Amino acid sequence: MSALTFTLKAANNRNIDCKKLIPDYLQGKSIDAISSIVLGNQTVADVFDVQGDDATTLIFKNTTPQLHYIGYRMKTGSITIEGNVGDFTGAEMQGGVLICKGNTGERAGDTMRRGILLIEGNTGDYCASNMRAGTLGLLGSTGAYLGYGMKRGTLLLSQNPAEQATWLDCGLHTLPFLNLLYQSFQTLDTKFAQFSNRRVRRWMGDVSGLGKAEILVLQA
Amino acid sequence: MKLNGVQIDETFAEAFNMRGTRVLITAQNLKWAYNAANAMTGFATSVIGCGVEAGIERELAESETPDGRPGVSILMFAMGSAVLMKQLETRMGQCILTCPTAAAFSGLDSEDQISLGKNLRYFGDGNQISKLLPDAQGNNKRYWRIPVMDGEFLTQETTGMVRAIGGGNFLVLGQSQPQVLAACEAAIEAMKKLPNVIMPFPGGVVRSGSKVGSKYPKMFASTNDAFCPTLKGTVKSELSDDIESVMEIVIDGLTFEDIALSMKVGIEAACALGPDNGIKRISAGNYGGKLGPHLFKLHDILNGNLSSEAEKA
Repeated sequence: MSALTFTLKAANNRNIDCKKLIPDYLQGKSIDAISSIVLGNQTVADVFDVQGDDATTLIFKNTTPQLHYIGYRMKTGSITIEGNVGDFTGAEMQGGVLICKGNTGERAGDTMRRGILLIEGNTGDYCASNMRAGTLGLLGSTGAYLGYGMKRGTLLLSQNPAEQATWLDCGLHTLPFLNLLYQSFQTLDTKFAQFSNRRVRRWMGDVSGLGKAEILVLQA
Repeated sequence: MKLNGVQIDETFAEAFNMRGTRVLITAQNLKWAYNAANAMTGFATSVIGCGVEAGIERELAESETPDGRPGVSILMFAMGSAVLMKQLETRMGQCILTCPTAAAFSGLDSEDQISLGKNLRYFGDGNQISKLLPDAQGNNKRYWRIPVMDGEFLTQETTGMVRAIGGGNFLVLGQSQPQVLAACEAAIEAMKKLPNVIMPFPGGVVRSGSKVGSKYPKMFASTNDAFCPTLKGTVKSELSDDIESVMEIVIDGLTFEDIALSMKVGIEAACALGPDNGIKRISAGNYGGKLGPHLFKLHDILNGNLSSEAEKA
């Protein structure tokens, strides 16, 4: 079986709501049924070339920042985005693995509950806003208001974010737990699979609310 | 039957159904993994007085542990699931949580799951962190990170519990105490290389084998006088004149085959020393076959028949 692949048709330049394109919704559906799924006022066939037959593993190709809500509320399986995408990537995720090899727009991982969201590029503002739990890894830069209202969960960053008054510095640590986290990355096709550094600076926040979330910034 | 000149009694070990679990203990290095595991499996020689029987199964290389650190696996057995759960939680809390750098993980996949760190997480006083991470097979496992003074205590939420067998045994009878102990040490060295079994007594060897009952009404068990060399002349002894010492090796294991193989390897190692080194006989402890459902017949085992079919026959 090959991954179910959605390749964006070049002609498209409208915003597209991809909420329905998650493994949980697509499993058991034929290519024809998937092609006729309505995304806003267009069908999948209007927007994407669809190939493959394994709906537990989705790939988005030729992507643009007009694609929003990829991985929204996904519970199982995996999604790989091979480019830049728009807002709310991985929003309200409840499980599974979502990998973005490019940049995301605003509010990536918003209100995420479970699962792993790995972004190899940069993110826009309000990344991980209101996040409940789960793990969000980020190789690139972050926008403003990182982890705004974040309650629990882990942000793993390779670059220092801008300091915020509602995130408290808990110092430098070497965490054995990160071995476990990195092992869960090892079968994934992502740069995160190369991670081995367990030395991090730990921040806790967002203390304007519950304040049980953490930002781990990898140290050189 | 004789093995290397050592007489093998035509008898059997009688063993019981138990519940068992495996826990993987890791730490910064093997020294601290052993410190944790030795504490966890301490005072766990017999269910009669300790609640559980536990021991270190083997060392684990860094590549074999979930967090990539060196460790050891331990096996723990009890007569019922409730006792096993209670003892595991207590020992986790007092021996692993407290041990610097130690972490604990499930060592058994099974339908029945029991708490490992599930309730220990409350030690974090609200600062504990849950992580649900997929393993190599893609199955999600829940872990807890509990802030402690040395950093973080990392533990999996649950571990598996399976039906197991406890009480496999054999007796080594010999000419002198040092010679019997040397034979038992050789047996234990060989048996420790096998997976899925532990020998829970000190150093793997027990010198105070018991019989059921006592002249004292409050005692359920008392010394196995038939095998006590200093009572030879006064009781119905099982010992000939040339036997001055008897020691027993008790084995708990996950399956019948595991225990049978362990007994075979252990008996062969003990008998390798032979009569020249004072090893005269191998026997086994039983209750006439009426109490325990598992019978490990010494001759069958030494003839290579290690399956439980031998038990049914």
